[in-house]
Amino acid sequence: MKARRLTLSQRRQLAGVVFALPALALVIGLIAIPIGQAVYYSFTQWDGITTTWIGTSTWTQAFHNSDLWTALKNNAMLLLWVPIALGLPLAIAVLLHQRVAGWKIFRSIYFLPTAISWVVLGLVAERFFAYQGTLNSILHAVGLSGVTTNMLGSESTALAALGITFVFTMIGTNTMLFLTGLATLDPSLEEAARIDGAGRWRIFRHITLPHLSRFIQLAFVMTVIALFSALFSLIFVMTGGGPGYATTTMEFLIYQTGFSQGQFGTAALYGIILFLITGAVGIIQLRLIGSDK
Amino acid sequence: MAAITFDGVTKIYAGKPAVDSLSLHIDDGEFMVLVGPSGCGKTTALRMLAGLEEITSGALSIGDQVVNNVLPKDRDVAMVFQNYALYPHMSVAQNMGFALKIRGESKAMIAEKVRAAAEILRLSDYLDRRPRALSGGQRQRVAMGRAIVRSPQAFLMDEPLSNLDAKLRVEMRLEIARIQRLLGVATLYVTHDQVEAMTMGDRVAVMRDGHLQQVATPQELYDRPANDFVAGFIGSPPMNLLTTRVSHGADVTLDILGQTISVPTRYAAAFSLPASGEVTFGIRPEDIVIATEGLRARVERCEALGAETLLHLSVNGPGASQHLVAKTGPRTSIVAGDDLSVTFALEHAHFFDVASGATLRAAS
Amino acid sequence: MSPGRVALFVTMLAIAVGMLYPFWVMISDSLHTQSQFISGSGFSLGSWRQLSAALPVGRQVLNSTVICSMSIFVILAVGLPAGFAFAKLRFRASSLVFLGIVSAMMVPLQAIVMPEFVNVTRVGLTSGYFGAVLVYAALGTPFSIFLFTTYFRGVPDELVEAGIVDGLGYVGALWRLVVPVAVPAIATVTVLQFIQIWDDLLVGLLFIQNTADRPITVGLAALASGRTTSIPQLMAGSFVSALPAMLVYLGFQRYLVKGLTMGIDR
Ligand SMILES: Nc1ncnc2c1ncn2[C@@H]1O[C@H](COP(=O)(O)OP(=O)(O)O)[C@@H](O)[C@H]1O
Ligand SMILES: [Mg+2]
Repeated sequence: MKARRLTLSQRRQLAGVVFALPALALVIGLIAIPIGQAVYYSFTQWDGITTTWIGTSTWTQAFHNSDLWTALKNNAMLLLWVPIALGLPLAIAVLLHQRVAGWKIFRSIYFLPTAISWVVLGLVAERFFAYQGTLNSILHAVGLSGVTTNMLGSESTALAALGITFVFTMIGTNTMLFLTGLATLDPSLEEAARIDGAGRWRIFRHITLPHLSRFIQLAFVMTVIALFSALFSLIFVMTGGGPGYATTTMEFLIYQTGFSQGQFGTAALYGIILFLITGAVGIIQLRLIGSDK
Repeated sequence: MAAITFDGVTKIYAGKPAVDSLSLHIDDGEFMVLVGPSGCGKTTALRMLAGLEEITSGALSIGDQVVNNVLPKDRDVAMVFQNYALYPHMSVAQNMGFALKIRGESKAMIAEKVRAAAEILRLSDYLDRRPRALSGGQRQRVAMGRAIVRSPQAFLMDEPLSNLDAKLRVEMRLEIARIQRLLGVATLYVTHDQVEAMTMGDRVAVMRDGHLQQVATPQELYDRPANDFVAGFIGSPPMNLLTTRVSHGADVTLDILGQTISVPTRYAAAFSLPASGEVTFGIRPEDIVIATEGLRARVERCEALGAETLLHLSVNGPGASQHLVAKTGPRTSIVAGDDLSVTFALEHAHFFDVASGATLRAAS
Repeated sequence: MSPGRVALFVTMLAIAVGMLYPFWVMISDSLHTQSQFISGSGFSLGSWRQLSAALPVGRQVLNSTVICSMSIFVILAVGLPAGFAFAKLRFRASSLVFLGIVSAMMVPLQAIVMPEFVNVTRVGLTSGYFGAVLVYAALGTPFSIFLFTTYFRGVPDELVEAGIVDGLGYVGALWRLVVPVAVPAIATVTVLQFIQIWDDLLVGLLFIQNTADRPITVGLAALASGRTTSIPQLMAGSFVSALPAMLVYLGFQRYLVKGLTMGIDR
């Protein structure tokens, strides 16, 4: 019997390998191999069935394709909303941290939208921005009937509407992160500063904010990654990427190129580009998590 | 129940031996204490016996079976961990019965064995509690209980008392020894505390830097330490070790920093002393007697412990001094700064080789 | 209360109104018929009554539930042993393998969606739930392993060793000692994955071919893209789809927070 001759540590290691194997197979089969395939297919003419090697010409074509640049530009424009997607939750977290009467209920309410699908939030946002929607009612009510718009219907404003919705969807998660960060702040520090005569703003600026820096970094990374890879549901139900290409981001461009136009190879190539972008951001996150140890 | 034999067992971590060719035999039913300073390889030796650590070389047997590659569960040994390692999600009764349950014993049988063990350990009132709701001493007893319900081939205990306070430790010392004798299971008990070793073990194995120094009964260790390390490790306060220059006349003469003491031949005869040169002279604090004449020393410090007093003495010579601790009775009038003379109960003297530290006692 | 506190309270109330806005929209818009909705007056439960004709909510909620449960089951079934292996069994190169798996957290599905779709279709898994379950499991596994490994590293080695000396094998040590002690970590993974998978659209859209097997989010998205969709019905459906995830969230809020801030709050 072969098993008899295994030493104890060999048996432990064998168990370790066997235990890790299913997970490893899943990750290799459904994540690692597809990355390799995507790289390969990006050099081919591919419709999902037949592949023809065409070398780098897909790449040169892609970089001459204005759709790609539009999508990248849209992503870049959306990045401008990131400061708000961080600042607003930070402010809300600081308010919650004052622990005013009923703050726990407020906390639960603020986080509640986190549980809802972005499909649903997108549908609701559509109601908000629609011509007979809430936004225009508000504008009307405050006497600004003149500026009533259909934000989702216009190329110049649709991306902004998407950005606003994105900010709303991130509020819960980021507030949660910042609140956790604030909870780890030693109150005696603030107290000491107050006794030293520091004003509120100075305390926030010089004590609270530095303490939160790691949480802000993490929230930043998570927000940017969400921006590149989680807007699909919102775009799908709110604008379908339009009007024109006004709200087509990288991830939506991949979907459209692959599944609406059937250009699998080009879509795979766009996937690689998206992978490189999020990978760069991801490395930052790994270092944030890792630097903890 | 079975005997245990370490035969040249070695464990190497990253090129450095933690246990170096350990050979040790534990008789069936014997209480063997493995003692030594922290980091000397005691835990490693115990874990190799439990099957939790690979043996680098040598052979380890339980009964007449070599168990080097036998899985822990097939070794049938029970272990008590330093931090108890109780299962936090199980009650006391479940903790104690778990090993039996794994072996597929009947519910009634398990309940009966747990009940009996709880009786011995005075845990009967706590069987439904979770470990978290127990005191340190009770947790320790549950850990014991987990071992004894199994009636294993051997008990392995790794510093099981080190997390208890002093009073409880003394109590549990007796308790564990009592239970072990009651059950008659071969036991390897690891501790760094020589008092535990001396009070609990049938025999004591002293280890240092992965090497076994001596295996003997507590009395033998005290009376005939195999080397200066054992001499200094066993006994509290430890044996005094003085470097002396030896010469032979009518008696054997020792020169300590210019002062001499003579050792009657009838006492020196038990040792094979060199004709000249240095030897380490060992004398226990309790074998030092304050006298009107003898070795002159100065009292550096007095420690009154109640029942006895420890005197820290220095023997001063030209440009050098040697330190000595003596034990005297209570309520002494001696104070620091006094000069006094001491003599030695030389029938209890020890001699060690200066270089190797080995005893010079002639093999009897 | 000082005036400052009152102002604070009012501000927080205003934010609360903002955050509850989606729920208000879903509920109030759903309480009309389509014509009432257009004219802007009148209330009716009609849209709720006819909801299942427009959107098979019952069936789709069931689909979502089955897909979620199966995916979470796979994630736990592969993640727990792997976490145990990385934390306690340490085989050769295990830290490298761990790093590799954890890095997969950073790969968005969109980046690999083309080959993934072709592969899964080619092996015929897009009929029925299995394709989607497999993709969800693969996407959820890296984070779960990261979380379990971190958690198991905090479990004392002696607990496992005590079990092994007591007669357990590694499988027994995992299921009978480590898993019971890891209930909070399992709850965190379950809740996070439930919400993630329940709320997802892309996987359900691409990897489930049969209309009858669609989860509720796909159903809603499809309904929304129809030309003649009744908005009150769409909102009623949205509310139904939001409800389970909300309840899970409200019940297990603390596990969610724990998972989210894993590795940074200590
Ligand atoms: N897993 C390990 N890896 C490397 N070195 C170890 C390991 N375990 C113990 N050692 C080393 O082996 C020596 C003996 O350790 P140990 O048996 O725990 O000593 P003791 O129990 O007597 O205090 C120590 O020097 C320790 O640093
Ligand atoms: Mg030890």
